[in-house]
Order: sequence, then C-alpha cells, then structure tokens
Amino acid sequence: MLLELNDVSLSLKRDGKYVKILDGISLQVKKGETVGIVGESGCGKSMTALSVMRLLPEKAKLEGVIQLDHEDITSYSKRKMEKIRGNKMAMIFQDPLTSLNPLHTVGRQIEETLILHTDLNKEQRKRRVIELLNEVGLPRADEIASEYPHQLSGGMRQRIMIAVAMACNPSLLICDEPTTALDVTVQAQILDLMNHLKDVNEMGIIMITHDLGVVAEVCDRVVVMYAGKIVEQANVKELFINPKHPYTKGLLESIPKLGVKKAKLGSIPGMVPSPDKMPKGCRFYERCSSAMEVCKGTTPPMSSVGEEHTAACWLYEEKGGEMNGSSGSEGLEATLHN
Amino acid sequence: MDALRYTVKRILLMIPILIGISILTFFISNTIPGDPARLAAGPYADAKVIEELQEKMGLNDPVYVQYFNYMKNLLQGDLGNSNYSHQPVMEDIKQYFPATLELTFFSMFITILIGIPLGVISASKKDKVADQFARVMALIGVAMPAFWLGIIFLLFFYLKLGVLPGSGRLDTGLAPPETITGMYTIDALLTGNWTVFKSAVIHLILPGITQAAVTIGMITRMTRSSMLEVLRSDYIRTAFAKGGSEKRVLYGHALRNGMMPIMTLLGMTFGHSLGGSVLVESVFSWPGLGKYAVNAITYLDFPAVMAVTILIAVLFILVNLIIDILYQVVDPRLNYD
Repeated sequence: MLLELNDVSLSLKRDGKYVKILDGISLQVKKGETVGIVGESGCGKSMTALSVMRLLPEKAKLEGVIQLDHEDITSYSKRKMEKIRGNKMAMIFQDPLTSLNPLHTVGRQIEETLILHTDLNKEQRKRRVIELLNEVGLPRADEIASEYPHQLSGGMRQRIMIAVAMACNPSLLICDEPTTALDVTVQAQILDLMNHLKDVNEMGIIMITHDLGVVAEVCDRVVVMYAGKIVEQANVKELFINPKHPYTKGLLESIPKLGVKKAKLGSIPGMVPSPDKMPKGCRFYERCSSAMEVCKGTTPPMSSVGEEHTAACWLYEEKGGEMNGSSGSEGLEATLHN
Repeated sequence: MDALRYTVKRILLMIPILIGISILTFFISNTIPGDPARLAAGPYADAKVIEELQEKMGLNDPVYVQYFNYMKNLLQGDLGNSNYSHQPVMEDIKQYFPATLELTFFSMFITILIGIPLGVISASKKDKVADQFARVMALIGVAMPAFWLGIIFLLFFYLKLGVLPGSGRLDTGLAPPETITGMYTIDALLTGNWTVFKSAVIHLILPGITQAAVTIGMITRMTRSSMLEVLRSDYIRTAFAKGGSEKRVLYGHALRNGMMPIMTLLGMTFGHSLGGSVLVESVFSWPGLGKYAVNAITYLDFPAVMAVTILIAVLFILVNLIIDILYQVVDPRLNYD
C-alpha cells in the first residue's frame, strides 16, 4: 500500500473556535493506481489532499494516521515533511497560471525542485529540466525553459506544473482539479499525459475533481465525499453502474447522457450543511429522497455493499450489519457521544 | 532595445517637467516681497548704491526677461552668484550637496537593511510577538519627530555614553579625503584611506539613523502588507508543495513578488529625505544642502534657492525614473510601452 489514511480528521480554527472540516476519512492508494475523490465544492476534497501534504493553515488540528510507504508521516517534523514534499509526494493545483511564480522562468521553477531534493550539479539539472519538458510533451524545450508563465498557454502551463511535480519521480501524485481551468480539448491531452506518466513511473495518483467525466477517464477507484465525510467507495465501473448512496446517485443523475432525451437534468435539492452546524445523524438527511427516521438521529456506519464497494447509508445497513458488525456499533457509539 | 527606447523616452519627458518646475520656482521667488539688492548691499548702503546694484543684478528687467537670462546661464552651467556667500552657486552646491547625498544614501541603506527584513518577519509571524514588536517599533519611528529623536540620540550616545560623535562629518584634525565624489566615505574608500573612512562612517551613524527612523517605519509596514497579500497566492502554496523551507519561500518567492509597492515607496522616500534633511542637518551640524537652503531662503538668496529647488527636482525625477526601469527588471510581465 502506497498511501493509507486511517480515521483522519481535520479541524480548522474559525472565529476563535475549532470547526471539524474532515471527519474520519479512511482511504488507500496502491502503487500504479488512480483514486478519484469527488464531491461538491466545500466537501473537503482539497483539504484531504492538503492534509496528506500537510500544507494546512497554521492553526489546523490534524488527527488520525497518514501512512506513506508504511511510514506514519503524521508525526513527521516540519523539516522532515519538507524533505518528502515535492520529492516522494508531489501536488498539482487547479489554476496553472496562478500556481506558477510569475517572476521566475519556468525552467527555474522546475529546477528548484531538483535543487531542493537532489545533488545534481548545475549542468545535470539543466539537462534534467529539458528532459522533463520533453517528457510532458512540450516542443522546443530549451526555448520554453527560459520563458515566463505568462508567455505560455494554459495547457502548456499545466504541463509545466506536471514537470515540476514529476521532477523527482514522486511515488504519490496528488492532483487538485488539474483540468478544471483548461479547455476541453486540452483537458483530454493533460489527462492522457497523466495516465501515461502513471504507467511509466508506477505512481499512485489521487485525482480530486468534481467532474465525473474525468473520473471515468482516468480513475481506477472512486471515493465520494459529502460534507467532510466519505459516503461511498467503489471501483470506477461499479460506481457508475451500481451506485448505492443516494448522494452518489444524485451526482450521476446530474450528468447529461448522449442519446437520452430528458426534459431536465437531475439535481439534488438543498445545500450542503455548514461545518459548524453539522446535523446529528446522516449529513445528507435533509437533501435525501430516501431519508428515514433512523437517518435523522444516527450517523450511518460505513459498510460493505458489494465487492470492494462500501457505502455509509442506513438503506444498506441490515445487509451491511451482518457483514460488518463492528461498524454498526460505531454508529451507535457516535449516537451516544452526541 | 525596448528598454533603451523606453529610458530615452522617459528622459526626454523630463524636459517639460523641469521647465515647468523652473518657471514655477522662478516666479514664486520673484513675487516674494523683499529686495535682494538691498540685502546684498547691506543695511548701511545708500539708495544710489542699491539702485546701481539693482541694475547690475538685472532686477529692473521684466520678470520673463530675467527668467530667460537665468535659463540661458543655467544651460551653460552658470547658476548665478549667491548673494549670501558671494561665490558662484555652483561652487556652493559642489560643497554642500555631496554631504546631503551621502547622508541620504546612508539612511536609505539602513532603511532597506532593517525595514524590509523587519516587514518580512512581521508578515510571516503575523499577529505574533515579533509582529507586535515590529509594529510598535514602526509606530515609534513614524511618530517621533526627527529633530526630537536626534536630540535624544545626541544626549544619550554622545553626551552620556560618549561612544558616537555628535556633529560634523569627520573627527577634528582629520583632513577630508581628496575630492572625487565629495562623499567622504566613498572618496576615502577610493583613495584607500581607512582612518578617514572609519571616522566618516562613525559620523554618519547618528544622523543616518535619525533620518532613517521614519522611513524604516514606513517601509516595514508597507513590506508587511505587501507580503501578506503575496503570501496568500497560489504560487506560494506551490513553492511549499515543492518542499521549500519557510525562509526560501519568503525570500526566494514572496519578497520579489511583493517588491513593487516597496520600491515605489523607497523612491518617494529618497526624494523626501533629500529635501527634508534640514532638521537632521541642523541638529547634527551636518554641512549639507538642507542647511544651505534654509540660509538661502532667510537671506532671499534667489539664485541659491532656485538652484537647490531645481537640483532636488531633477534628482527626484531621476530616482523615480530608475525605480520605473527597475519595475521592468523585477517583473517580466510589464511591457516597456
């Protein structure tokens, strides 16, 4: 297992008190696997990624265990984290224009990762930069290396970001909405590139997105998040064919399908509850079309609903309770605590 | 090439500005009541002598003729004769200006050396002890009048502790170095005269810090706010994601991006220090342009007033031109047009 999050919670200080942003996140990423994290804005997708990278605001409280290559990195010091960031794990962000330093040439920005993590001399670093630029499919690499981000197109910039991230051959790559700011045609190119790089380098990838099209394109497994909690996990095919959680169903219904005439796309009514006013029971209760009495007061536990398919919903709890007794009592415990 | 064209264009643009300044200063100083001829002739001169002097100084010509004559001479490097020191104004300026320039450079040097790092620390430790400390220091620097601060420094470091000299540019008994730039520290360095260099630097410390107190405060606050804005940027997060340490991100990525407003303020401060050095020069008996200008005004010494005004205007414009050119060096996104 490359990355393992075990019951990770994150609280941020807002207006003087701690508010829980992530609640009991557990997920795994294997080598050479792409795991998608999907959900609406504000559901905690990005915060999950930033928790792994530990790029959190100063007054953040991180609980639980994060293991990278079987090593608990939650206990790592600031210095130790700096050593693995950009080295063993790297991250790509949404908007490549604002994510690149406007005053440094792109060559220098790629080189910086090498300066920080390798012993290469200047000549070797220069060669590696050119190599990386070629790897991410940029033509006339030596010219581009001396250009500034504003001189490049959006797609080229994102390729530069990928080159920055790939500089030290990371084993884990976290992509936070890497294609959201790009044109559709460029999106496909970037996704192809990432798929290719993953296969070549045997990386594990976390792909954060709210675009289910991207998920279908590149992911092996999908984690669906809602209001700071994971509500469903499954293989990508299974999830698209056989979604279990009402929220996942709602998400899938909101994608237009070719050849299917529908008067209106499905939408999920209501709003995500705010982190400081989380309901006692299921967080999706208020918006759920199949809500029951039990959902209101008790948090549904995560239970198995198929092969490598789990969901946190009371609809499947009878069945799930047989297969996984402990998670049922966890739910009960949660009730008692509340 | 673009940079060169831009620079030349900007220098040409200076000409109309300078003509405007010279017209304004000339006419304003001419409307001030008082008769330079009478002052030059002294209190006991009789009317005839004064009349002759008025004629000789061209004071009976129409004002615009006087202006054109003045400008004609100015272009030939003749700034007229001082009615007070009775020597060419050019000579006076050569004597006093380097002292002021040296003091200004020194105080700007201290400002940059202390103000910018203090602002960076302030921003990175926002609302913590270091930030509060910097805030108080900046407030003290801005709020204390320079002459008062100067006197306190004199009382403490010169009278009480006796560790620093309180007046002049060199220890008494030391001959000034051979004049190259007129700035003692630089001339001493160029001629390799270490004793004089040391003495000149020591004499700069108190007036330099007094002059810098206000600007350090302003630069600290400006750096802090500029940095706080930059530190919220996505590329700062990227720099951390690469594994950069806090120091590296602050000084390698954030500071340069936050440099624009700091540079603007530095340019303005430089001009301000040049023109406003009167108080500090008086407190520390610094034989500079500020003191010279005050004397010139008191004695209605128009050629001297004109010369000082035009000189400071030219410098102010030049410094801001340099800052404008530096913008493009710092930020490649800016175009020269």
